[in-house]
Amino acid sequence: MTDKDFNHLKLGESDLDKLFDAARDTLPIMDPDFLDQLQIQAFEAMPITRQINSGNSNIKIFKWISTVIPQFGGLHASISLVLIAAIGVIIGFNPPDLVLDFTTIYFDTETLIELAGINNETQIYWEDF
Amino acid sequence: MSFDVSQNQDNAELLALFAKGNRLSTISLTSRLAPIIFSQAFHMLNNRADAEDVTQEALLQLWKIAPKWDPNRAQITTWLYRVTSNLCIDRFRKSKRVSSEEMPEVIDKTPDVDQKMQFMARSKALYAGLKILPDRQRQAIVLRHLEELSNPDISEIMEISIEAVESLIARGKRSLVSTLVPQKKALGLNDD
Repeated sequence: MTDKDFNHLKLGESDLDKLFDAARDTLPIMDPDFLDQLQIQAFEAMPITRQINSGNSNIKIFKWISTVIPQFGGLHASISLVLIAAIGVIIGFNPPDLVLDFTTIYFDTETLIELAGINNETQIYWEDF
Repeated sequence: MSFDVSQNQDNAELLALFAKGNRLSTISLTSRLAPIIFSQAFHMLNNRADAEDVTQEALLQLWKIAPKWDPNRAQITTWLYRVTSNLCIDRFRKSKRVSSEEMPEVIDKTPDVDQKMQFMARSKALYAGLKILPDRQRQAIVLRHLEELSNPDISEIMEISIEAVESLIARGKRSLVSTLVPQKKALGLNDD
């Protein structure tokens, strides 16, 4: 048996090179539409564009606020409304003594809870009405 | 003939211009770099859709890092080859679908159909052989023999010594040979 008989069991460097050549030559061409898409993504990712876009979102919020404020009677009226609402919430959660004194005198109750009828022994029956 | 000033600028200069919002540099940079990434990704994954996804992702990473890019640190292409390799390896591990699921279109430079078929068969066989190689061997072989980079460049991309690159390539080629030997005749490698 000669070396030639074993030739089919060998794969030389030149054989491998032919396979590499084939793989290189059969590389698909990049789709021009895909390249266009990449360009668009690149523009969107540009740091300047990103800043402008984030700036735009702030501008949108200000535009919305500027349309809402006149509906409440202008800037001063809107601020007053917000302040009054905030004070109302604070009093609701933590009423100052002055409020309690006023309710005690006026409604003849000890606490706001009593005034609201919570835990009050008084029962209301529909038959009474 | 269009006059493109950016032809004379290197990638780092163009990337700096990109960070400043220069649209022309963006077009040049994308046109230059996308085919390089796509080629590497396709050779590693053998799937057009996956290669396009990787190209997109690698470029997005580059745009993100652009304002902080240090031109003294590394070449952009080296960095991109590295990023692309890592993205391909991640994708390859997840999908494990590098196969003949997509046969590439043959560029019309082969003279006849038989030769085209032979090119496709050889390409398919090579990708099947590459598929079963360990990640690092496949990466080194793709960079050396399909992207045709030098061993020093590959060592920089893979962050290993040149000797380690040579060793990876040698072992990878040995494995390829043992995988492909049975197909030698079918691939038309015995008669020329």
